[in-house]
Amino acid sequence: MNALTNYFKSLFLLELFRGLSVTGRYLFKRKFTVMYPEEKAPVSPRFRGLHAQRRYPNGEERCIACKLCEATCPALAITIEAEPRDDGSRRTTRYDIDLFKCIFCGYCQESCPVDAIVETRLYEYHFENREDSLMTKAKLLAMGDKYESQIAADLDAQAKHR
Amino acid sequence: MVTIEINGQELKAKAGAMLIEVTDEAGINIPRFCYHKKLSISASCRQCLVEVKNAPKPLPACATPVMEGMKVFTRSPLALAAQKGTMEFLLINHPLDCPICDQGGECELQDVAVSCGSDVSRFVEGKRVVPAKNIGPLIATEMTRCIHCTRCIRFGEEIAGIREMGATGRGEHMVIGTYVEKSIDSELSGNIIDLCPVGALTSKPFRFQARAWELTQVEGVAPHDSVGSNLHLHLRGNKVMRVAPKDNESINECWISDRDRFSYQGLYSDDRLTVPKIKQNGEWQDVAWEVALDMAAAGLQEIGEGEQIASLVSPSSTLEELYLAQKVTRGLGSNNIDCRLRQGDFRLDGAEPAFSWLGLQITEIEDLNAALLVGSNTRKEQPILAHNLRKAAVSGAKVHFINPLQLELNYAASQQVTTPAGMVQSLAAVAKALGATGEGAAAKAIDKVVADDDAKAIASAMKDADNAAVMLGNIAAAHPDYSILCVLASAVANASGATLGFLAEAANSVGARLAGALPHLLPGAKAATEKGLDVMKLQKLPRKGYLLLGAEPGYDFWDAGLTQSALESADLVVALNTHTSPALEAAADILLPIAAFAETSGTYVNTAGEWQSFRGAVKPLGEARPAWKVLRVLGNLLDQKDCEYTSSEQVRDELASLCEGVVPDNSIGKAESADLQSAVDGLIRIGDVPLYALDSLVRRASALQQTKDAAPAAICINAEEAKKAGLADCDSAVVTQDGREATLPVSIDANIPDGCVRISAGLAGTETLGAQFGEVTLEKA
Amino acid sequence: MDFFISIWEALPLGLQTLIWTLLKIIAIVAPVMVCVAYFTYAERKIIGYMQVRVGPNRVGPKGWLQPIADAVKLMFKEIVIPTSANKVLFLIAPTLVLGPALAAWAVFPFNEELVLADINAGLLYILALTSVGVYGVIIAGWASNSKYAFLGAMRSAAQIVAYEIAMGFALVGVLVAAGSLNLGDIVRAQQGGLFSWFWLPLLPLFGVYVISGVAETNRAPFDVAEGESEIVAGFHVDYSGMTFAVFFLAEYANIILISALTAVLFLGGWLSPFEGWPVLGPLFDWVPGFVWLVMKTALFGFMFLWLRATFPRYRYDQIMRLGWKVFIPITIVWIAVVGLAVVYQLPWWFD
Repeated sequence: MNALTNYFKSLFLLELFRGLSVTGRYLFKRKFTVMYPEEKAPVSPRFRGLHAQRRYPNGEERCIACKLCEATCPALAITIEAEPRDDGSRRTTRYDIDLFKCIFCGYCQESCPVDAIVETRLYEYHFENREDSLMTKAKLLAMGDKYESQIAADLDAQAKHR
Repeated sequence: MVTIEINGQELKAKAGAMLIEVTDEAGINIPRFCYHKKLSISASCRQCLVEVKNAPKPLPACATPVMEGMKVFTRSPLALAAQKGTMEFLLINHPLDCPICDQGGECELQDVAVSCGSDVSRFVEGKRVVPAKNIGPLIATEMTRCIHCTRCIRFGEEIAGIREMGATGRGEHMVIGTYVEKSIDSELSGNIIDLCPVGALTSKPFRFQARAWELTQVEGVAPHDSVGSNLHLHLRGNKVMRVAPKDNESINECWISDRDRFSYQGLYSDDRLTVPKIKQNGEWQDVAWEVALDMAAAGLQEIGEGEQIASLVSPSSTLEELYLAQKVTRGLGSNNIDCRLRQGDFRLDGAEPAFSWLGLQITEIEDLNAALLVGSNTRKEQPILAHNLRKAAVSGAKVHFINPLQLELNYAASQQVTTPAGMVQSLAAVAKALGATGEGAAAKAIDKVVADDDAKAIASAMKDADNAAVMLGNIAAAHPDYSILCVLASAVANASGATLGFLAEAANSVGARLAGALPHLLPGAKAATEKGLDVMKLQKLPRKGYLLLGAEPGYDFWDAGLTQSALESADLVVALNTHTSPALEAAADILLPIAAFAETSGTYVNTAGEWQSFRGAVKPLGEARPAWKVLRVLGNLLDQKDCEYTSSEQVRDELASLCEGVVPDNSIGKAESADLQSAVDGLIRIGDVPLYALDSLVRRASALQQTKDAAPAAICINAEEAKKAGLADCDSAVVTQDGREATLPVSIDANIPDGCVRISAGLAGTETLGAQFGEVTLEKA
Repeated sequence: MDFFISIWEALPLGLQTLIWTLLKIIAIVAPVMVCVAYFTYAERKIIGYMQVRVGPNRVGPKGWLQPIADAVKLMFKEIVIPTSANKVLFLIAPTLVLGPALAAWAVFPFNEELVLADINAGLLYILALTSVGVYGVIIAGWASNSKYAFLGAMRSAAQIVAYEIAMGFALVGVLVAAGSLNLGDIVRAQQGGLFSWFWLPLLPLFGVYVISGVAETNRAPFDVAEGESEIVAGFHVDYSGMTFAVFFLAEYANIILISALTAVLFLGGWLSPFEGWPVLGPLFDWVPGFVWLVMKTALFGFMFLWLRATFPRYRYDQIMRLGWKVFIPITIVWIAVVGLAVVYQLPWWFD
């Protein structure tokens, strides 16, 4: 009996028609396309976008070259070189994030003991040269300076969950 | 032997041993900070508390001797609670600055905090802050991190022999430091970096350069003295980031000298040779290897006559390099190869021991009851051997020195300080006091002297001792009457029953004899039928073609000025060097960059005759190539047979088979000439080689060059002689030696005997001067 | 006006015919091309909607200029000819695919009178031309000198051969029922409203024909010849710019052709569905036959898109099984049934 049912089912393409009915229904469903760039989807404060390096309010860079982010980076995207600065403090001389390697997992931000490296909300960026894919220390700090108020607000919003 | 029980496991232990020694042996881990196997016990950190049955309180494992039937629990609730409590106390004042601490990742405190500590601190009060101290260019301090384990203090007292670090204050106010602002100057000081369990004492050149987890560890052998200390090279990428000791109880225990630890900086100096260069019309041009090698081979062949070619080889070269250098040289029909670049007297060639060595094992030094060191500044020449000698002296050995300068020693010893000619007489007097007659030159020297009280004292000490040794150091080797010193030392040793030993100068001075890199010795230390010319003759009778291997004219030769003029007058000088210098560029025609320490594989034979092979840890900088490969290709280009090696091991094995059956032997033959070359009418130069002027690498290690031991060249003279020379109140003077001049600052130094002036060799400013020991005249500038 | 007529009459007769024919061809090809362009637009929109997206909406109002933008882009793209390709065949292949797809329209009746060449063997002609298209695909695959292109061509050949037979048999049923090979006659044979059309008496053949049509045009779910996921793009993997555009045009021209043929063969062509019905019949009398044809064609065009949006690609062996072991038997059986019905003039359709 079962075999017979199956035979007729396949002969009259019943399952195929059911499939067609599904797509047919969706044809009339309300579309939820966001008309980017006129409209933008809301971004969570936890969003892991382009990286930035922060400074303290007095203008001193936060990064102390502890290299925990470099160690924790699963994609080996971070390269750090450090040296004592003239005042004897521990600072990086090179802090590069290779955006082609980066997988935006956010471990660097999580491992940072001084909240220096963060991932911002920014996801709209592009490069025209291969070299531009390297976020150098200067670029990271510039990002941090530009978006500090937003970064601080986001970190604040998440503080109790971290 | 007693039987104890630890965590239910029954163990045999030596009576009187401390608990922690037994557990360490058995592989049971007990956390500790102040305990160190080579240092005395202070039991000050209390981290190693363990539970012992029937003891009312937990006991420190490092200070509890084992007793028969003792039952110990290292992981019982009581022991763990005690360890956790101690950890909490230690962390009260320890800053939470691991992210900026260089020790982070290799910190004993971090490790123990993870295993025994709690996760949240209950301490809310302010932490203690101690200002960091500047204790010199090698060690960075961050004393707030100090946990008062006192390992560094005990190291200074017990190992380095100088109380440089100490504790002031008590309890929370206890501060470790130097008593007054002062640098740490011990030649072994770097070891406190390894000893410090936290980040209070860290390496200054390495400061903030890399993290422990970024480094890969490769084994190596130290190239700067004849001890052959075992090293761990820590690499990041293709760069040596720092050097640490590797435990080897029979050689360096767990220490290394600062010279071995910090010399790696020289690898990356600005004047490192990275491309082959040729000189054309007086201009240096970078060329490809093929071009440079072809030119070198063609040039050497053009010279034609073998005896017009000479090789001057650094004794710090590896065994393989030395062997191939002599092979290439002998293949060209020349026996003119020498590596005794700083030896002052070759009259004993042929009669001296073929495979000279320390005469005993390094570990046997501490068992000596008496030692006579002739022409040796051991502390600055072989720091690790000096440490062993100090151990002997501290346990009661009588140590005597016969030197041309007063040494600053870190143990009690008698020193005879005389002129170089006086050294011969002093040694002869000791021989006479022992009743030795000697033969040949020795007999003549002994005949001339009278045994004074000092000599008799030394003689009786040597004779009475069960274990005694007579040792000749680097100053003796550079002595113009080295041959007479050798035969006299041999006479003393024979008459007193002492061991005769040579504190070989460089990493491979002993190996060079096996490799045949001497004019009168073939590989396997066999006597050559046809003797070549030694270094001195090669300088006095300039050749047409020179092959330099790792030797820097101006710094690495006994008579720097003469070498320079000999090289400059030659038709062709092919230099295989790691670094370049103005003197080298003036002398050489072809510069071939070779791999330096840590970049090449090879073998060193240390002064105790031990072969130690190592592998290249990093790729040579730039286009530099290991010297054994360069020499091999040179051999190929010169159409020499049997030069088809594919690895340095192959070269070593070939040499090892040639050396089969060769045993170390210090028996000395007869020296004929008894003329005292060191007897001069005027002032004689004492041209010792300072600790940090030894070789190309050390001379360029920037941190070492800032230490007190790396003082710039100066005319050191005692006040009386200065007055005689009219230099008592002037800043600088002109030194004239063999018609060549140099202007150097004057320094009044009471350690220099009358008739002598100490102008150290191997330093900038002394390149133009003559022999390390030779007559000089001083004149007010 | 008179002036133009006089010039026209001054031309030699042969030239007149040639120009006249060319004008007719343009009159058919130009609208087909426009249809093709907007069919691609419809495809992207409809599939987008079925996937709850909005589809192209940036070029022009609501994206209406998207096909124009695509065309311009393709025209300005470089035509890359692989070094080791056979250049002549490589360039002939696209033409060989597009040509038959357009030529078939020559015999197609747009309404009672409007047909370019009203020949008797119209159905045979169409069957012949659609089969020529496969040569273009095979040549393209071979001339590219690429593994993937060749694999695609092989698959395409095997598939088209298999489904050609089923399709041919289905059409045999139609011509048996209609008693003519002339497409106009076939439409006229279906007079009498929605239920007199051939779709009902030839229902199994209708189903087979529609599905075979999808397979013939290499459309999803029978697009193994393209198989993006396994052979990149199949036979046209090495084509770019205009050469690719020509393949693209041919594919969509074929879809429209098959849709229109289905309308003619099974849904009564230009005939009104309410023909002869009381009330509804007269009510829709004013609608021109051409509009009915366009509506029926559009219905099948939509079906092509709907299928593509719904079904995943068949496995190659499943396609072969379906063609040889299901469709051909069904058509043979039903041809026999139709034959008997026609011979014995069985009610309700053949009496």
